[in-house]
Amino acid sequence: MDVLRRNNVTVSGAGTQAMVLVHGFGCDQHMWRLVAPAFEAHYRVVLLDLVGAGQSELAAYEPAHYNTLAAHAADVLQVLATLNLHDVVFVGHSVSAMIGVLAAIAEPARIGRLVLVAPSPRYLNDAGYTGGFEPADIDELLQAMDSNYLGWSGAITPVIMGHPERPELSAELNNSFCRTDPTIARHFARVTFLADNRADLPLVSTPALILQCAHDALAPLAVGYYLQQHLPAAELVILDTSGHCPHLSAPQATVAAMFHFLGLAAPPPDERR
Amino acid sequence: MLPRRPMSAAEEEELPALDLRLTAENLEDLYEQAPCGYCSCLPDGTLVKTNQTLLSWLGYAREQLVARRCLQELFTVGGRLHYESFCAPLLLLQGQVREISYQLRRADGTTLPVLLNAQLLRDADGQPLLIRATLFDITERRKYEQELLRARAEADAHRALLTAKNEQLTRINGELDNFVYTASHDLKQPASNMQGLFEELKRTATFHDPEAAPMLAMFDDALRQILGTIEGMTEVVQLQRQLDQVPREKIALQAITEEIIRNLQPLQAAAVDFSLDFRAVPHLRMPRPALHSLLYNLLSNAVKYALPGRRPQVWVRSAPAAGGLVLTVRDNGRGIDLQRHGQDLFQLFRRFHPEVPGSGVGLYLVNRLVRQANGHLEVASVVNEGTTFRIFLPS
Repeated sequence: MDVLRRNNVTVSGAGTQAMVLVHGFGCDQHMWRLVAPAFEAHYRVVLLDLVGAGQSELAAYEPAHYNTLAAHAADVLQVLATLNLHDVVFVGHSVSAMIGVLAAIAEPARIGRLVLVAPSPRYLNDAGYTGGFEPADIDELLQAMDSNYLGWSGAITPVIMGHPERPELSAELNNSFCRTDPTIARHFARVTFLADNRADLPLVSTPALILQCAHDALAPLAVGYYLQQHLPAAELVILDTSGHCPHLSAPQATVAAMFHFLGLAAPPPDERR
Repeated sequence: MLPRRPMSAAEEEELPALDLRLTAENLEDLYEQAPCGYCSCLPDGTLVKTNQTLLSWLGYAREQLVARRCLQELFTVGGRLHYESFCAPLLLLQGQVREISYQLRRADGTTLPVLLNAQLLRDADGQPLLIRATLFDITERRKYEQELLRARAEADAHRALLTAKNEQLTRINGELDNFVYTASHDLKQPASNMQGLFEELKRTATFHDPEAAPMLAMFDDALRQILGTIEGMTEVVQLQRQLDQVPREKIALQAITEEIIRNLQPLQAAAVDFSLDFRAVPHLRMPRPALHSLLYNLLSNAVKYALPGRRPQVWVRSAPAAGGLVLTVRDNGRGIDLQRHGQDLFQLFRRFHPEVPGSGVGLYLVNRLVRQANGHLEVASVVNEGTTFRIFLPS
């Protein structure tokens, strides 16, 4: 099995150390467009699609196997092993923040730093814990997904996927980024929103940066503080932005916080797109 | 772009003067009362402008929403989750989203299904500036979408159930075949022993009862029948096992039929007039053992159930039929009372002529083989005149 093909791995940039960026629920590696280039001068930048997302090998998505985030963590570690990478900076958005946590616990030598972008160890409320959601809300999300997948069956691999730099190609393709097979998306949504990784947090010895958005419906501030308290070596940075995707809504602030955490000189002047 | 062409005379003609009250649209009114919801938001979703249509749908006053609420806060919680994980990133990545389905939550708690189209405007520096959104009421459309979703879920459930049932049936079939095979195998030995012991007993013992001789003959018949039945059971299972392994091949009908007729010699087939005609369709594709068993059973029946006192005649022919061919086997024998026995004709171990020896396996096998070849068969029969089997096989 070709691990790099399976996860649609792309490598760019220069440097002895590597940075691997892993997208969150609902999208794929294109999410890092505004952030990844800023690190290409310092790191080998590794982008991938989780199995089931983007241009990964959808056929490899066995629901029974991918019933836990640990399976995705194992995939990421396989990619790092295939590329012979150690001591990487792992950047994970949303659900992939926890995938990074699990990978760092399993093989601490592979992951030197964790950058957790809009993370949450558990989305559902629990006694003494505010995740932000009730089970009924997750059912509602699945319904919203279903009603948006009417009329097209999955396994559409849009042309645009190969040409993110040429948006004109998307003219004929509605919402062509971040498409995924509806059946897989549904399953991954359940795995994501029903996960509970609170017990894993104390096991992380890796230094971590928590990038928390000031107004994030999916990961409320309380969740950011909870993570800071329960991760042994974590610093919390609250970004003055709204939504769940600071790497898209506030890329400069995101890059600056990462530069600071990684001990790099001030980030390059922001590149307007 | 098409090159400009010169205007035609008709186009140069001035428009007729229309009543301006009908044509001069008031833009503000157009925006406020449009037949769809309009709103503008900051990049984080905060509403900065909304039209009256949207406010009326929602049951909110303008000051309750503008600068106070986000567009995504007007959706159900699940819808908002969807917006934050799919829509917001898409807007920032590709500048627009089209036809996203959401439920608006009205002030009174009820929901209104809408389709959202949104566009991201950027400032001169390329920074996100404003989101413009239109919302379309899809109450009716949503009903049949849900009907479609429901139907699809039902179809999926049915498919899963059928698959499970099929697997179960396949398993049970295999178990049944195994059972029949084991039973016939286990019965054969004691029945053969009985036959041997009985022969030995008749040789050595003396019976004084005047009824003994016919009783002995009846006992002999009964034993022969038991052995014949066991033989039939074994044959059914063995043939099935063979068929699972033998591929379909192209078979010449004339040659295989002549070969079968030679094998029928013990049944006095020499005294039978066979008439074969395969000129219309000389070949067919089938597993060889299947075709052999099928023809052998039909021809041996035709010979066995001849009407005493009439010279037996058997006609075998092939002809093209819709989507395949038809094989016809006709005889002038005893015939079967289909009114009485039609239901049971192809049942295992059913017999309609007890005076002729047989095990009741032949027609059961024929029917099973025809079904396996995705064909079907028809029977016509008149008692004391003869029987015609017509076998339709797809090509």
